[in-house]
Amino acid sequence: MTTAVEFLNVFRHFGPASAPVRAVDGVDLTIAEGSFFAMLGPSGSGKTTCLRLISGFEKPTGGEIRIFGEDVSNTPPHLRNVNTVFQDYALFPHMNVRDNVAYGLMVKGMGRAQRYARAEEMLALVHLDSHGDRKPGQLSGGQRQRVALARALVNEPRVLLLDEPLGALDLKLREAMQDELKALQKRLGLTFVFVTHDQHEALSMADSLAVFNEGKIAQIGTPQEIYDQPATRFVADFVGSSNVLPPALTKALGGPAEWASLRPEATRLAATGPVSGTVTALRYLGAGTRVVITLGETEVAALVPAGQPVPAEGETTSIAFDQQALHLMGAT
Amino acid sequence: MTTSAILPARGLADRLTALFWRRPKVLLALLLTPPLLWLGVVYLGSLAALLLQSFYSIDEFSGVVKEEFTLKTYGELFRPSNFDILVRTVTMAALVTLACAALAFPIAYFAARYAKGHWKAAFYLGVMLPLWSSYLVKVYAWKLILAKEGILGWAAEQTHTGWIISGLLSIPGLEGSSLSTSPIGTFMVFVYIWLPYMILPMQAALERVPNSMLEASADLGATRGQTFRTVVLPLALPGIIAGSIFTFSLTLGDYIIPQIIGNSANFIGMAVYQLQGTAGNIPLAAAFAVVPILIMLIYLAIARRMGAFDAL
Repeated sequence: MTTAVEFLNVFRHFGPASAPVRAVDGVDLTIAEGSFFAMLGPSGSGKTTCLRLISGFEKPTGGEIRIFGEDVSNTPPHLRNVNTVFQDYALFPHMNVRDNVAYGLMVKGMGRAQRYARAEEMLALVHLDSHGDRKPGQLSGGQRQRVALARALVNEPRVLLLDEPLGALDLKLREAMQDELKALQKRLGLTFVFVTHDQHEALSMADSLAVFNEGKIAQIGTPQEIYDQPATRFVADFVGSSNVLPPALTKALGGPAEWASLRPEATRLAATGPVSGTVTALRYLGAGTRVVITLGETEVAALVPAGQPVPAEGETTSIAFDQQALHLMGAT
Repeated sequence: MTTSAILPARGLADRLTALFWRRPKVLLALLLTPPLLWLGVVYLGSLAALLLQSFYSIDEFSGVVKEEFTLKTYGELFRPSNFDILVRTVTMAALVTLACAALAFPIAYFAARYAKGHWKAAFYLGVMLPLWSSYLVKVYAWKLILAKEGILGWAAEQTHTGWIISGLLSIPGLEGSSLSTSPIGTFMVFVYIWLPYMILPMQAALERVPNSMLEASADLGATRGQTFRTVVLPLALPGIIAGSIFTFSLTLGDYIIPQIIGNSANFIGMAVYQLQGTAGNIPLAAAFAVVPILIMLIYLAIARRMGAFDAL
């Protein structure tokens, strides 16, 4: 398998050398060609800076970035065969949709008839044929998003970078676009690098993902690996609805004295057990009910499948689980 | 205890706010009436009087204004001596506008794209500072700077570049004993005086172009030059047009700078000043004054047709 993008110990610091802001702080990663790669993390974790390092809008202060094996340290954005879908779409307001989509071909010197034909093809791909004459200001958020996508794809980039492209859409549209993006990526066989702070989006769309925290990669792996075996407390906290158990509680529940994660769906309610607590919150989810039990200082959630008895708020209960469901992890 | 759903009005302010909420147009009318009265009576009224006067003519023997509608006065504008004034003024205004646009763009671009914090404050101060001192003081200061014994001539002598100035002053039509008595001097001072009026709207327009727009252009493969032509310039055009309206119309109407600096050749403003004063030919003065208005209307129509306001 070919490597599309490679980060070799990459740093991007801002501000004075004496007190730098470490936006990207020693990142190593490899993105396989044709994969859907997500960069997940809270705001300020360095994921967007990493994306901008690939597109060339940021220069690394250390390390090396390779795109298809080539060092791009000295390559300006306009000479990189990657294209970006911007968070705010960045459509040119003074051009109609067709000219927006054909822009990349226009600046490369392609003739009008030819580039308009290609633009129409791209608009058809994103289901916006017949919208070519409109101005971006006349489109809805979802439509603008598609134009931005078509405009980036018309150049036939080797890597498509997407910077929180679905952030501004409402939930229903976002879910529809998630499916569509995923289908498009499979059909085109392109490498997608997708930045998001939404863990569900990252888990459901990506082939593999990197979880960022304070400029570093906390964990990199498939969605299942990240979800089932979070490497650190941070990953477990951020990615999942997983329970994070402090060492004392893990020990009390029969495990070693270490930080551990425990998935709510692997957690059962039990009348008696080593530790019991009070039910403090109930959330009906349709397929089940999420019951939050406060055990000492830790809140633990258990997913009670539909049809099983649900305790009332304030009741005292204990929890039980199979020991192999307990996943041990690092403290940071 | 039960609390009413409607709170009691505390006084006049509450009742007025309630009135404005029920009838939003009342507030609008209260806000707009005074300025509209002022604009309508003072501004549009005087403009109408001006237009009216320009259709009158003057009796050549008695010097009395004949209050009959005629186009004779407008015809007089095309007499060679008068037409020269129009051509000279419009040419000067166009050149001043072009020079202001060329000088202002880099400054406005820097201020809009790169300047932050202290640099931004320094920019505003630098651009506005000249506007705080009297216009006349600045013009006379320039007369001294450009004079034969002035600092510019002195600096040119010290750096052995005096031949540049003498070269410029020997160009036919631009002759003068020094820059302060040549049309080149008039041009330089016009550019200096009106430059802030070009920089500020341009900077405001450039500030509204998001950075991501420029990044998107580069991302799609455009060079800096292509980005400038196809993205920056069209988006900044309303600002450039706004600035050029200032520099163009201010130059068209000014009558002080060409009086103090240059070879005393007549400009529209000076002609108006002389005709309504010493000559007492109000109709011709009015006709002269209508010319800049017409030119500006034509200019705006062309700008609009070229799509300058599409990005608004």
